[in-house]
Amino acid sequence: MIVPLEHILILAGLLFFLGMGGMLAWRANLIMMLVCIEVMLNAVMLVFVGGSARWGTADGQLFAIFIMALTSAEVSLALAMVVYLHRRRKTIDTDRFSEMKG
Amino acid sequence: MNIYLALILLLPLLGGLCNALLGRLLPRRVGVIVACGVIWGAFACAVLAFVGFTGPVRVELGSWLAAFSFQAPIALYLDQLSLGLTLMITFVCGLIHLYSVGYMQDDPAWARYFALLNIFVFAMLTLVLAENLPLLYLGWEGVGFCSYALIGFWYTEEKNATAGRKAFITTRIGDTAFGIAIVWMYQLSGSVSITHLNSMGALIPAAVVTTLGLLLLAGAAGKSAQLPLSVWLPDAMAGPTPVSAQIHAATMVTAGVYLLARMFPLIGSSETVRAAIALTGGITAFYAATCACCQRDLKRILAYSTISQIGYMVLGVGVGALPGATFHLLTHAFFKALLFLGAGCVITALHHQQDIFRMGGLRTKLAAVYWPFLAGALCLAGFPLTGGFFSKDAILGGVAAQGGALYGGLLLLGLFTALLTSFYTFRMVFVVFHGEQEHSLSPGPLPQIMTLTLVPLALLGLCGGLLNLPAYLGYEGVLDGFLGSIPGFGGVEQASHADEIALQIVAATLSLAGLGLAWSRYTGSRRADALAREATGPSGAGFLLNGWYLDNLYWALVINPFNHLARFLWKRWDEAGIDGTLDGLARLTARLGGLPAAWSTGRVATSLFGLASGVAIILVYLVWVTLS
Repeated sequence: MIVPLEHILILAGLLFFLGMGGMLAWRANLIMMLVCIEVMLNAVMLVFVGGSARWGTADGQLFAIFIMALTSAEVSLALAMVVYLHRRRKTIDTDRFSEMKG
Repeated sequence: MNIYLALILLLPLLGGLCNALLGRLLPRRVGVIVACGVIWGAFACAVLAFVGFTGPVRVELGSWLAAFSFQAPIALYLDQLSLGLTLMITFVCGLIHLYSVGYMQDDPAWARYFALLNIFVFAMLTLVLAENLPLLYLGWEGVGFCSYALIGFWYTEEKNATAGRKAFITTRIGDTAFGIAIVWMYQLSGSVSITHLNSMGALIPAAVVTTLGLLLLAGAAGKSAQLPLSVWLPDAMAGPTPVSAQIHAATMVTAGVYLLARMFPLIGSSETVRAAIALTGGITAFYAATCACCQRDLKRILAYSTISQIGYMVLGVGVGALPGATFHLLTHAFFKALLFLGAGCVITALHHQQDIFRMGGLRTKLAAVYWPFLAGALCLAGFPLTGGFFSKDAILGGVAAQGGALYGGLLLLGLFTALLTSFYTFRMVFVVFHGEQEHSLSPGPLPQIMTLTLVPLALLGLCGGLLNLPAYLGYEGVLDGFLGSIPGFGGVEQASHADEIALQIVAATLSLAGLGLAWSRYTGSRRADALAREATGPSGAGFLLNGWYLDNLYWALVINPFNHLARFLWKRWDEAGIDGTLDGLARLTARLGGLPAAWSTGRVATSLFGLASGVAIILVYLVWVTLS
């Protein structure tokens, strides 16, 4: 193992919080939010892969592949919804959608 | 005997129920005949009971209240006192029922009227015949209820309904004291039987007897309109006039006197109680007589005179002259019923005019009313040789026989009251019936039955003295002998014959003086002057006209503070305090609930921030756990 697990975790944490910060900051654009979610998910995948390498089991890698599949499905759905929303309201600024107000 | 006693009670009850339940379905004639018939039936039973009477009997008709050692059966006790009163009640009420047929002939609510009148007679007879105190209390409350319902009989006028409530609430104060006394007596002796309690006198501590006596006096003062609870009776005149005659003059208001006389063997052993009873009676007699001198409403004059005469009876009970008090009770029932019925005739004939200053000169126009009314007035004024003269004298004789400063003072007060009584009685007679009629009121026709019923009452009032002629005539009075064997009634201290004759001469002189005074003031040339002066209201008359402002005193002392307290509790305590606290709590909760509600904006960003801050908090916690 060349790269120690701590380094991977630090990198993953940085990626995760970058993604999260980006998502909070870039609310005006739904597509950028989806991109940031991808970054966060990748951070999680990185942790899985790192853990898998550290303990020499394949479970983590399996999970990483699962997450990839899941993200591709999620992104395709989410993008379809973005297209739909854009058609309806001519905008993809999330602050403009507040119909779910309780 | 049992069947007579049961019928005496049941007949009026059945009549009342019949009119109350079926009155609307029956033709008027049938209902009226039933109402009068049951009372006369009860009178017939009372006469039969009198004929068959050999000695006191106790009859148990059924069980009523029974719990552990507490026993209050429906038991009747017929002795000379209750028998005499039963005869009087059924007879006088019978006549008043007949009179009511004429008086109420145009009133559509006759069924309610006669039902209440019959039930009143039932309750009054229960009161008089009861053997135990709870049953007596049942009758006591029954007459109170009927009185309330009949004072406010024409309840569509606010004034009448208020008078009914006033009577009910005022007497309730006395009734409460009476109720406490009953419970206490049961607690002391384990029995509520009147005969049993009366024989317990020596076993109960003196201080307790005194307190019990004062409680019973309070009860009697409420029912009999004695000071300080006298204020309801003048207002009770709002009811129909026969009701005033039956309930507020002849029978119900004497219930207090009956109660005190009945319980006298128990409470009479306390010197304090006797003095308190005598003082109450004497002062009330004087108070009401002064008020009656200035009234201008015919029925209010009679109301105050009733209070005054009952004051005499209470005075008689206080000095232990029980036969005298009973004698006065009987004659008073006759002549006061007569006066009220006569007044009812006058008022009906004058189209419901009650102001005596608007009457006058009715002597010839209403001769059929004038002569009986005059007979009643003579009795009330204690004119020599009438029934009222002898009975009032029997009481004053009892007072004189007591001696001492207190009773000496009460005797003088009683004699002065007799003078006032004679004055206001003849003031009423002369103003109403004599002189010239100055106003355009012309008497209308009267149903004959109304004037006919006056005659037997007038005869009884005038000849009532024969019931109990004074002892100096050489033989014992009929009533004295009849009542003498009841515990407490015998062994009355008698003034010597010389004293008694002297007293009667003084009383007769006073009565004639009052008559003379009224004659000189209200007849002949000075009549117009006197009437004009009184109509404008001379100085000081307002004080007497309003009954010494006793009502105002109660307003200031009791009613206004109570109203203020009630308003305070309503506005400040209930609405501002309790409701305010609860409303405040509710508002606080709603506002607290509004705080998290502000987060549900529906925007994705808010949720995201919530998520992020949650993650941040968890992280901070983990760091803190790791480091510490």
